[in-house]
Amino acid sequence: MSSYLDGELQAARAARLEAHLKTCPYCQAELRAMRGISAHIRAASTELQVSQDFDQRVLRTVGYLEVTGRIRKQRSFLRPLVLAAMTLLALLGMIWYCLWRPPLLPVPVPHGAAAVAPAAPQNAPLPPPDTRRR
Amino acid sequence: MEEAIRPQAVALDARLAAASDAELVAACAEGVQEAFRELLRRYRKSAMMLAYQMLGNGEDAEDIAQEAFVRVFQAVPKFRGESAFSTWLYRIVTNLCLGRMRRSHPTVALESVAEPGTADGPAQQVAEGMLTREVLAAMPPELRVVLLLREQEGLSYGEISGALHLPMGTVRSRLSKARKRFRKVWNQLGESREKTK
Repeated sequence: MSSYLDGELQAARAARLEAHLKTCPYCQAELRAMRGISAHIRAASTELQVSQDFDQRVLRTVGYLEVTGRIRKQRSFLRPLVLAAMTLLALLGMIWYCLWRPPLLPVPVPHGAAAVAPAAPQNAPLPPPDTRRR
Repeated sequence: MEEAIRPQAVALDARLAAASDAELVAACAEGVQEAFRELLRRYRKSAMMLAYQMLGNGEDAEDIAQEAFVRVFQAVPKFRGESAFSTWLYRIVTNLCLGRMRRSHPTVALESVAEPGTADGPAQQVAEGMLTREVLAAMPPELRVVLLLREQEGLSYGEISGALHLPMGTVRSRLSKARKRFRKVWNQLGESREKTK
């Protein structure tokens, strides 16, 4: 009966119910009562009034949330940018250190002396003794 | 300047009023504020009425309805249009109402319902309205919501099924139970009122 009232009953079943309703006062009363429920609920629905500033309050709230969302977006955009900049600086610093670091200070040499010869290898043969007459 | 703007504003209002819900939702997703205003205008009363009949309190109903529209605004870019806008809105309102009811009180209080003779309008109509709200308040929430979506909002079984994520069979059986329960409680409350007169 409920589905029939809502127009959601299959056509064949609806036709059978309609035929039955013609002869059954109990089911007719049941259907009338259900229609009464619909009428009561719809009548009760028209009494409530929406306040005049309803729209303004919603729009104000929505406007606030929209601004906050934009601010949050900017913050989240800055963070990766800062991290990327720091990484780049660190990388540049390493490159500079490897390629362009200032040379090590030279070892001081005594006046007039030749440059220090490289040390002889450990297993190199000794030079022959100096046999020239002086 | 104002004279030039007025015809344009009137033309825009006419276009918005003629637009379908789906077109308005698409425009909202693009950031067209006027489209959102038009959706507000179309559905604020029915959203508030549904909440009112669920909660039995006008102030709470207005809070819920406003919250529902805020959520619509936040979620509209993600709305895929698989259901009608109204179905989606009523789902949000229903979920908010059920959440409020679970948090605040298991049964709905009717403090805001006026006593007969103190409200405006014909006494009989007011009394029946009061009784209707009492009967609805006395029903379990899951029966109340299907009855309201069907009788007050005019949703089909398929739309109710989509709004509440229920199988069609469940919608059908709950509506039948809701109507039986409504009649039973109506008769009980009506009789008790007769006795107290």
